[in-house]
Amino acid sequence: MYLVADISVEICAAKSCKLCTQYCPEANTIQYSDELGKDKGFKYGSAYVAVDRCKGCAQCVWVCDNMAKNYAIKMIMIDQLPKAALTENITYGEKSTTAVLASPAAG
Amino acid sequence: MSLDYVKFSNGFEKFMPKEYRDMVEHGPFGKKVTVSQMGNFKEVLEEHPMCAGCAMTLFIRLAMIAFPNPEDTITVGTAGCGRLAISQAAIPFVYGNYGDQNGVASGLSRGLRLRFGDKPKDVVVMAGDGGTADIGFQQVLHSWFRKERFTTIMLDNEVYGNTGGQESGMTNRGAVLKMAPLGKKFEKMDMLQMAKVAGCAYVATVVPNNPRRVESVIKKAVLIAREVGSTYIQAYTSCNIEYAIPTDKVMEDAKAVENDRYQFTEYVSEEAKQYLTERYGYKEFLAKPAAPAAAIPGKA
Repeated sequence: MYLVADISVEICAAKSCKLCTQYCPEANTIQYSDELGKDKGFKYGSAYVAVDRCKGCAQCVWVCDNMAKNYAIKMIMIDQLPKAALTENITYGEKSTTAVLASPAAG
Repeated sequence: MSLDYVKFSNGFEKFMPKEYRDMVEHGPFGKKVTVSQMGNFKEVLEEHPMCAGCAMTLFIRLAMIAFPNPEDTITVGTAGCGRLAISQAAIPFVYGNYGDQNGVASGLSRGLRLRFGDKPKDVVVMAGDGGTADIGFQQVLHSWFRKERFTTIMLDNEVYGNTGGQESGMTNRGAVLKMAPLGKKFEKMDMLQMAKVAGCAYVATVVPNNPRRVESVIKKAVLIAREVGSTYIQAYTSCNIEYAIPTDKVMEDAKAVENDRYQFTEYVSEEAKQYLTERYGYKEFLAKPAAPAAAIPGKA
């Protein structure tokens, strides 16, 4: 098992700073969805992690904790994630992306 | 080289992998994308074998987004870590022999101008500190003296990270590395000064802990290189393996190094300032209007 980044939609959708996306060394890994969090009544969307691309460096955690001061990202063992985004389940739109969350083990 | 090279061939669309379809339909080709849109479009850089948490990877990712016309750009690289990522992007990449990347880029840049005339085709060299300041030093400097119109970007990790940690010309004095156990005895090379002396029209230093600045600097360098002359960017991209930086502290290190020896500097020649202002509408180089007399203390 290995660690991947997990973003709290509740915290992220309330702040929507997008810094983690800009500081992740991996392309197409921390994505942003305008829809994520809307169903919970949040004004903004949220960032999410394509866990099949995450190399577990935790740079996003440092950026979220120390630059954004949002404390929204934690490293978590991939088998402890009930649902996560995988590259094959991400759809690109005109202005944002959407992801169907599924069990990473099934992916 | 045009938008055509990223389109599907007739009848092949349904056989292309999802990543490729996403890139054609939602990538940056033919559009203006910016750092603030990251996470909302398909980036051209794909999966690559760079180490987890590598700052060089982040810089390359930002550079690919900053290219003004990715569909009309060719990157040139050489041996070193960077080429492992640069070659995994949907932008044509030419791999020079060690050290000859600026010679290759000179010929490429001239050839593209012969073939395509005034239509801008950008050539961007991205090589490490070893490829730029040590082994490729002669060709780099001569391309600058010849005012070859392309951009040279040094990915400065201050070590030969790909071969076990030997000191490079860009390593700091006193640095102890696996293959330099007594510490480096000489100063870090001042490539910035050399670039200015050699006549580069644009010289800048950046650290990837400021993505918007990286974007701005690369855009300016590529645009200036289209017509004015050589441009040079020196980017601090730490090697977290050889310098034993924990991956979650890479940006903390970048900030510390920025404050220590990598403060943002930018030199723009007068000709380049005028070119950016007149051709691309840059306002930052316009003369500031003189303050009204009443606003100057003691002159009221």
